[in-house]
Amino acid sequence: MNSADFIALLPLIVPALASVVLLLLITFSRSHAVSVLFTLGSLLLSFLLLFVAGGGTPRRVTPLFIMDAYSLFFIGLLFIAGIVVAVMSSRYLGERSMERGEYYVLLLLATLGASVLAAGSHFASFFAGLEILSVSLYTLIAYRRNDDRGNEAGLKYLILAAASSSFLLFGMALVYAQTGSMDFFQLAEGGRVPDLTVVLSAGLLLITVGVGFKLAVVPFHLWTPDVYEGAPAPVAAFIATSSKGAIFALLMRYFSLMDLQRFPAVWYGIAGIAVASMLIGNLLALRQNNLKRILAYSSIAHMGYLLVAVLAGGTVAKTAVGYYLAAYFATMLGAFGVIAFLSGEEGDAENLEAYRGMAWSRPWTAGVFVAMLLSLAGIPLTAGFIGKFYVVAAGAGAALWIPLIVLVAGSTIGLYYYLRIVAVLYGRVPEGEGGAVTGFPGRVLGMTGGILLTVLTFALLWLGVYPAPLIRILQATVARLVP
Amino acid sequence: MSYPILSTVIFLPLAGALVIFLIKRSNESLIKWTALVLSLLTFAVSLPLFTGFDKTTADMQFRETYQWVPSWGINYALGVDGISVLFVLLSTLLTVLCVTVSWNSIKDRTKEFFAALLLIEGSMVGVFCSLDLFLFYIFWEAMLIPMYLLIGVWGGPNRVYAAIKFFLYTLVGSLLMLIGIIVLYFNTGRSFDVLQMMTTNYPYHLQLLLFWAFFAAFAVKVPMFPVHTWLPDAHTEAPTAGSVILAGILIKMGAYGFLRFSMPILPEASREMAPLMMVLSVIGIIYGGLICLGQTDIKRLIAYSSVSHMGFVTLGIFALNIQGVQGGILQMINHGIVTGALFLSIGIIYDRTHTRQIADYGGVATVLPVYAAFFMVFTLSSIGLPGTNGFVGEFLILLGGFTASNVLGVFAATGIIIGAAYMLWLYQRVFFLDVNPKVRSYKDMNLREVLTLLPLLLLVLWIGIYPNTFLSFMDASVQHLVQRVNTAGQPQMAQQIIEVIR
Amino acid sequence: MLPKIFFGYFAVVMVVLSLLIVTRKNPVHSVLWMLALFFHIAGLYLFLNAEFLAAVQVILYAGAILVLFLFVVMMLNLKEEVMGERFGKEWPVGISIGAFILVLFFFTINKFSQGPTGQYTIERIKAETHTKAIGSVLYTEFLLPFEIASLILLIAIVGAIVLAKKTK
Repeated sequence: MNSADFIALLPLIVPALASVVLLLLITFSRSHAVSVLFTLGSLLLSFLLLFVAGGGTPRRVTPLFIMDAYSLFFIGLLFIAGIVVAVMSSRYLGERSMERGEYYVLLLLATLGASVLAAGSHFASFFAGLEILSVSLYTLIAYRRNDDRGNEAGLKYLILAAASSSFLLFGMALVYAQTGSMDFFQLAEGGRVPDLTVVLSAGLLLITVGVGFKLAVVPFHLWTPDVYEGAPAPVAAFIATSSKGAIFALLMRYFSLMDLQRFPAVWYGIAGIAVASMLIGNLLALRQNNLKRILAYSSIAHMGYLLVAVLAGGTVAKTAVGYYLAAYFATMLGAFGVIAFLSGEEGDAENLEAYRGMAWSRPWTAGVFVAMLLSLAGIPLTAGFIGKFYVVAAGAGAALWIPLIVLVAGSTIGLYYYLRIVAVLYGRVPEGEGGAVTGFPGRVLGMTGGILLTVLTFALLWLGVYPAPLIRILQATVARLVP
Repeated sequence: MSYPILSTVIFLPLAGALVIFLIKRSNESLIKWTALVLSLLTFAVSLPLFTGFDKTTADMQFRETYQWVPSWGINYALGVDGISVLFVLLSTLLTVLCVTVSWNSIKDRTKEFFAALLLIEGSMVGVFCSLDLFLFYIFWEAMLIPMYLLIGVWGGPNRVYAAIKFFLYTLVGSLLMLIGIIVLYFNTGRSFDVLQMMTTNYPYHLQLLLFWAFFAAFAVKVPMFPVHTWLPDAHTEAPTAGSVILAGILIKMGAYGFLRFSMPILPEASREMAPLMMVLSVIGIIYGGLICLGQTDIKRLIAYSSVSHMGFVTLGIFALNIQGVQGGILQMINHGIVTGALFLSIGIIYDRTHTRQIADYGGVATVLPVYAAFFMVFTLSSIGLPGTNGFVGEFLILLGGFTASNVLGVFAATGIIIGAAYMLWLYQRVFFLDVNPKVRSYKDMNLREVLTLLPLLLLVLWIGIYPNTFLSFMDASVQHLVQRVNTAGQPQMAQQIIEVIR
Repeated sequence: MLPKIFFGYFAVVMVVLSLLIVTRKNPVHSVLWMLALFFHIAGLYLFLNAEFLAAVQVILYAGAILVLFLFVVMMLNLKEEVMGERFGKEWPVGISIGAFILVLFFFTINKFSQGPTGQYTIERIKAETHTKAIGSVLYTEFLLPFEIASLILLIAIVGAIVLAKKTK
């Protein structure tokens, strides 16, 4: 490794170092504010270092990492998500008697793990990044220790993530046995993967199972609602965004480098998963009354929409995935943000009925929430619409009619439960206490929450109304994945 | 023109909605006055479209084009021609009336109500002016949310069900249209420009698929026969202003979509599918009329009558000749005026009685004579009595319909008879017979209510007596459209022959 | 022939030992069977010319980690554990997943064809010795994952402390 390698890797080194320093720091001062500020500062520094690291041309740092425009974009997205989650957590933890400092250590490391995935170009970094991410999440999910659901969720995630990791490892071993390389770029070179042998397809199948668990696509989705429900709201936001986004980034790199779409078996496999996720994710959400569970199922469906773009392949599809993920990040973080900031010590604000009539007593908070829901539903003027539009455009460009029809059906079903939430927000509180507007009894957002959610809402509308700048960025970064 | 009229008409109400959002909830009269002033101002701003419109050309006028998303070739492109200009005016007019009729009937959450109303106005105008399919789709969908809230919050007892049904029906259609739009985009050399699409010739089988994709969105909005079931619920449960906007403008957007997009962009498919569309229209006419005869709820009756009347509109449009299309467009305006007026009238009496059951009325004419007179004119217009606007529109449509198909023309004509039956029977049950004790104590219309209905009354008579004012707007555009539909895709020779004949 | 017999012995015994580990009622027994399993794994490593790994397997897993395991197991209330059901209700799911993997194995092994080989062929390892090869790879090419692995341990420690600490 020379100094140029070192500079290229700085965005990954800083959070790693920061987590260790923070660990030392909390032995001296357990001040919550110090931990929060330190975390935010280091994430911000890492984010800024991306611009330094992005100065050079695509650079492979050992066979494990590739710091090109593609990974820089996704790492940037992950850092922003990390910052948002940290801000969300600052208030969430500030009001509860939990261990605070360690939370941020784990959050930093989880973000690091996600970034390692986004920059990974080798099975070793794939696995290492995934493990850092998962192991941090085991603890983060179970962070509400005196909550039974939290413990259950943590344990469930631990067992399933460990099982899925072993599937993944075995799949990697089979792929290695067949191709003799763990390096994505070597695999991409001609002749390594001439055709889909039985061993290779078994390996890919096992990798799919392992990754499918992490992405929570059907049929590997069963853990999702319980874990989302049990995890603290900011952690659920992290699982829904960073954890999935990072794996998706890596998966797309792997797929397009190996050009796996050319094999019909792989193609149909993904198509099946996409279709099943879109339908089942949306259908299962219909009967839920817990917001976190609804968002969990909704995230399953969204992964299905994204896979449609992966099926399409090509430059448009890559830009579509990038845009969709950015929009999805902003939206999911906003939706979970509302829940996180409204949660009190007695539990997370996840019960749908508790939100009845909120639009009348807290029009702005409800407005933000509605904007997020509409964006999830893909209604115009929100980022979600442009994302969905992009995906549909990619799909139509590749003539994927059946997945597109399913996408339409899924979106319609999805709209139903999003509208149900909107109907509750704008619903009437049962008459009795004074007749007129009684409204939402919950807490207020507070200043941090207000600022954060306003920023997210503006991002959402900005991306939805004027998508040109982000598209330009994506065309300069994500679309250049395979030169 | 020194200022961008169309953008102003779109964004003035949107800005107004924002202003209303910032006013304190308790200050109700300020909210109402802001809404009224802004809607009046918007109407005033839209008037130059009426006076400054060049009737001799079929080209788009008042155009504005700015780049929006260059990498996708999306432009912010607006413009009106003879087909759309009247709808813009109708939208701005009806919004003013919606504000006045809701003045006292909306008692809680006034702020959100008027904000939603103005949001709807802006996006409706946007739909009629867009010359870029992407922009069109945005407006088309954006309108759903305030409309959903309008029905779902201020509606009748079954409002949430009706609102969600309305939204879901529309969205399925819209999403299929979205796929159609994207396919069109790829086949137009990556452009969403409507004008460019109108001059491109697409392969026939592609046209056919696209026609059905667009049909899904437009037929639901119209609503055409098999997909009309959302309409009675939505109309019935919506507050008066919501019903007026639904009946007056929203459902016109479907028929407008056929005229603006399906027919000129996909002429061969439209020609091929026209007989089927006409059959569906006639089924809608008769089916809607028969259902009306069995209704006990006034609002529901008027709602079903919309199914019947919109059947006339689509019949005229898909007759694909000049009389039919002109009649169709005029009838859309008429239906907007008359059905809007009928819903407003029902709203006015509902504010007093709080019942919509026909059985709760009777002898209203003796208690509220002025009101009865107004209602009479609108009823007669709805039936299509000569001298009212309904006559002109239906006459033209039937003329066009007979030219296209005799049998269908006959069936459609029976629809008029059914229409006369249910409207007159309704009038008899509500206004004549013995005075129902429930309505005895009510006062006649006040000045605000008279002023609300008066403009529509004048329009009914104006169009009925001198329709040329309005028909002349669309002459050139309709001629251009009909020519495009009937000649596109035919050999060069045939086109030349038609030129010579003309 | 001889290597095959040895491999067969190790493979069969490992499967049997694994089954014993998960089916024993007494956790102490399970841990002890695991000890035997680890020794057999070490034996397999020797077959693969991986004497360093074999040694690490014995020293670290059999020596250090299992002792820790035993400590933890002995801290539990063994009587209750022994009384309880050994399996949850979900065991059929586990069995079917296991059966699926087994079927996958059979198909895969029958169809196995040697693809392009990696950098470290048997000859090269023999020439260079395994310990040296693994050392040089670990501290040059795989330095970063090596560091990352240390972070994983750090996370596990922090997590365990957070979750296990008594609430005040």
